[in-house]
Amino acid sequence: MHILVCMKAVPSTTQVSVDGQFRLCRDSVHLQWNVADESALEAGLRFRGSEGRVTVLAMGPTKLEDNLRELLIRGVDRAVLLSDPSLAGADTRATAAALAAAAEHLGPFDLILCGRRAIDGETGQVPGMLAGALSVPCVTNTDRLVFEAEKLQVHRSLETGAVCLEVSLPAVVSVCEYSYNLRLPSISSMRMARQKQVEQLSVRTLGLPMEQCGLKGSLTKVVAMSSHFPGLRKGPKEENLVVGASRLLQFCREVGK
Amino acid sequence: MSASFLVLCPFGLDEGLLCKAVELSGSAPVRILLPEHQAQTATKYGAKLVHTIPDEFRGEDEAEFARWLSEKALQWNATVILAPASVQMRGILPMMAWRLNAGLTADCTALTMDADRLIQTRPAFGNSLMADIRTTSEIQMATVRPGTFRCIERQVQDAIIVKEIPSKSVDVKVKTVTEINETAPLNQARIIFAGGVGIGSLEGFRKLEKLALLLGGAVAASRGAVDAGFAPYRCQVGMTGVTVCPDLYIAVGISGAVQHLAGMSGAGTVVAINSDPKAPIFDYADYGIVGNWESVIEHVLEELL
Repeated sequence: MHILVCMKAVPSTTQVSVDGQFRLCRDSVHLQWNVADESALEAGLRFRGSEGRVTVLAMGPTKLEDNLRELLIRGVDRAVLLSDPSLAGADTRATAAALAAAAEHLGPFDLILCGRRAIDGETGQVPGMLAGALSVPCVTNTDRLVFEAEKLQVHRSLETGAVCLEVSLPAVVSVCEYSYNLRLPSISSMRMARQKQVEQLSVRTLGLPMEQCGLKGSLTKVVAMSSHFPGLRKGPKEENLVVGASRLLQFCREVGK
Repeated sequence: MSASFLVLCPFGLDEGLLCKAVELSGSAPVRILLPEHQAQTATKYGAKLVHTIPDEFRGEDEAEFARWLSEKALQWNATVILAPASVQMRGILPMMAWRLNAGLTADCTALTMDADRLIQTRPAFGNSLMADIRTTSEIQMATVRPGTFRCIERQVQDAIIVKEIPSKSVDVKVKTVTEINETAPLNQARIIFAGGVGIGSLEGFRKLEKLALLLGGAVAASRGAVDAGFAPYRCQVGMTGVTVCPDLYIAVGISGAVQHLAGMSGAGTVVAINSDPKAPIFDYADYGIVGNWESVIEHVLEELL
């Protein structure tokens, strides 16, 4: 089975800054892999099988090459960096368009795995759009994958419980954070990685039209930013804990009515 | 030309979202798609064009459902498409957006109109900023945090109700094997005791659980507490966890990052307990208690028992 895992590097801190066009400044911050994407990668590595291969695709600045090399050391067969200044400022659609073009260039794949959402943007929209672009089915928000008799079964959490779904391949599946813990490098995976290089892809190689890339190809634009979350309540503050505890109980009893 | 609103609630009505659409659309009628048994409720909240689908429809083949919904949206000339940000709708809308060449904004916490353009507000970039987003495509789409908007009754007398049957693919790509109904999900609890990093340990969470049990509440946690291993991930409230709107939300030892606020801002009453009087959570609470949370709990238990 040939599996593609799409991974995003996110700032390791929440103290981020934006430029004049409200694009996240990724140059000055330390980047690390999004936690849910690491789960997706581990799921991919477990299900690749003896004949299978796992390719990791990441879109981002050139300095991501170091992060990708580390994944080769952990046992990834192929690591590909799609880096191009014209991709900067991409919304979820422009991101999905670029990833889909890269997936078609590198594939075909039996399964495409993504994290269910990135902790910086937190939209969770890229997997569905990627599936839309590739015309394959998509299941989001899964936390367990099982292969049986060439069939993929996934466990998907919903607000009201969960479902177990059978998915025909090829498909895009997004995986929740903490479902699979990314493995550590082994001696053999470290040895294998010595012969491997991080591959580079550019917009030109993919033949993506410039008007579909980055900020230009985005259909949503940030027009303003503020540092306030709406819904200020600013209720009174009590420092006497006995009085506070008593009021708290009263609140609980009011709900009970 | 005014915007033509379509509200998609195929798995259950989000009353607040419908009311918001009615408010934003002005005199233009709002169209809604929802389960059959909720048709009358939709007319109570201002929907004029009501399309129903069978109550038992599950829509597990989301790509196929997205294809059908996209066709309907075009047929109905919808220019603004809104849906609750549930797991299922957040899976379906991206596929629709791709088909419809539409910009899509996830998890909005506020919506306003600027002429025929929807201005969508959502938390962005970790926990520090709120972004206003404008969509440039003809069709504008957004998912909205459940429980974000208030309900206002506006009974419609002359609503048109039409039954729809979603298409079925001949070649089924996704099918249900089993359904698991978990006991009392967090987002149905009326009282929630949520613990943050300030709880300090797994034992601390046990204390919180004990109190919650006594008072008929459920226990939740912030991302920091889950990351620290104090509570399981299924308890996590906030942008990377679940959204809750209980009648009473008690934030214990939670500082109040925007990410967390986004998951609980719809709560009826918010009580915050924190030893740091400057913790941002106090700004978003109806009642604050400044002090050691364990002492507060002891006082509560004394009064209770």
